[in-house]
Amino acid sequence: MRKQYAFTVILAVSLIIAFTAIAGSGRNDDNALMAPPIGSTIDDFKLPDADGASHSLSSLRGKNGAVLIFIATRCPISNGYNERMEKLSQDYKAKGITVIGINSNVTEPVSEVKSHALEKHLTFTILKDDGNKIADRLGAGHTPEAYVLDANNKLVYHGRIDNSLKIENVTSNDLRDALDELLAGKPVSKTGGAAFGCSIKRAS
Amino acid sequence: MVRRLGIAFVGLAAFLGSGFAVFAQLQFANTAKPPGDSVSDIRQIDLDGLKKLLERDPKDTRPLLVNFWATWCDGCREEFPDLVKIDNDYRAKGLNFVAVSLDEVEDIRTKVEPFLKEMKAAMPVVLLNEKDPETAIHFVDPTWQGDMPATFLYDKDGKVVFKHFGKIKPAELRSAIDKAVGSKQ
Repeated sequence: MRKQYAFTVILAVSLIIAFTAIAGSGRNDDNALMAPPIGSTIDDFKLPDADGASHSLSSLRGKNGAVLIFIATRCPISNGYNERMEKLSQDYKAKGITVIGINSNVTEPVSEVKSHALEKHLTFTILKDDGNKIADRLGAGHTPEAYVLDANNKLVYHGRIDNSLKIENVTSNDLRDALDELLAGKPVSKTGGAAFGCSIKRAS
Repeated sequence: MVRRLGIAFVGLAAFLGSGFAVFAQLQFANTAKPPGDSVSDIRQIDLDGLKKLLERDPKDTRPLLVNFWATWCDGCREEFPDLVKIDNDYRAKGLNFVAVSLDEVEDIRTKVEPFLKEMKAAMPVVLLNEKDPETAIHFVDPTWQGDMPATFLYDKDGKVVFKHFGKIKPAELRSAIDKAVGSKQ
């Protein structure tokens, strides 16, 4: 009886550990990242900024929502969007949507994140995601990669900023369109978009 | 007599000249590499070209390895030597390997070619030139968001038997290729 009980407990614990590992890994069996579906609610989280001060998503989110953008200091694609991201932050701050940068690259230390932001004149809050926990939770795979949350942390857009690194070739401003629809109280018509970017350098 | 000698000389010259021309043609044909089969001959493709590449010529039943890379992608550059070794080891065993560059067209001569030369890469390289990459990305794989590098292995029937986003683990890829080409290493 005791042996059966012990076996059952061990089996249950093993299943819980296995389930947690799979759920927390952010990847399916094909190694593809698993992002939360559009419409799901993103749980609050806390991360430090480049000065070490801890911030929660709820404290940073604007009254109308937030844009989380996974960024990098060394990725030419992410850097090619620096000015656009800063402008986005300036344009939508006044409209109640906050842009929040997240750096999950294990290869980019927080000191570099800080100096990069200063050098590139990025004034929006940039959080350091050590251990890529939030990148895993959101299934973020590369930089830049954007997530739009409404006032209740509901995910309404996940994908690219626009269709081209070269500004002269931009024909689809997917992220701005999603934000404008959100602000207008309309459903977001295009909830995602794919573009090439540098893989996030993960610790795990 | 002089006239006959002159005609003979012209005839001989014509014969030798045409012979030399044929010889030169043969030499060129032997040394010229088909498009895409030379480090310096990078073909640009659009979405239709990418579809043709992945949908495959029905007569070509070799397993197909496709790696999406760019010189701006440090993970791509870091894994490239392993991919070159894989190409060297498996091409004779029946693996078809095509590398698809996502560099800008204007960087072909200044960045792409020098990098491939440094890597001693021999596999065909094409450059995807699409102003909006979204359709191409989703055509390749609907779960792919554009993370680079990305590697896909198709078996002889065109089925995806291996895919990886981010730097490859060479042993894993080799194991998949071994199965696809039907060899053990």
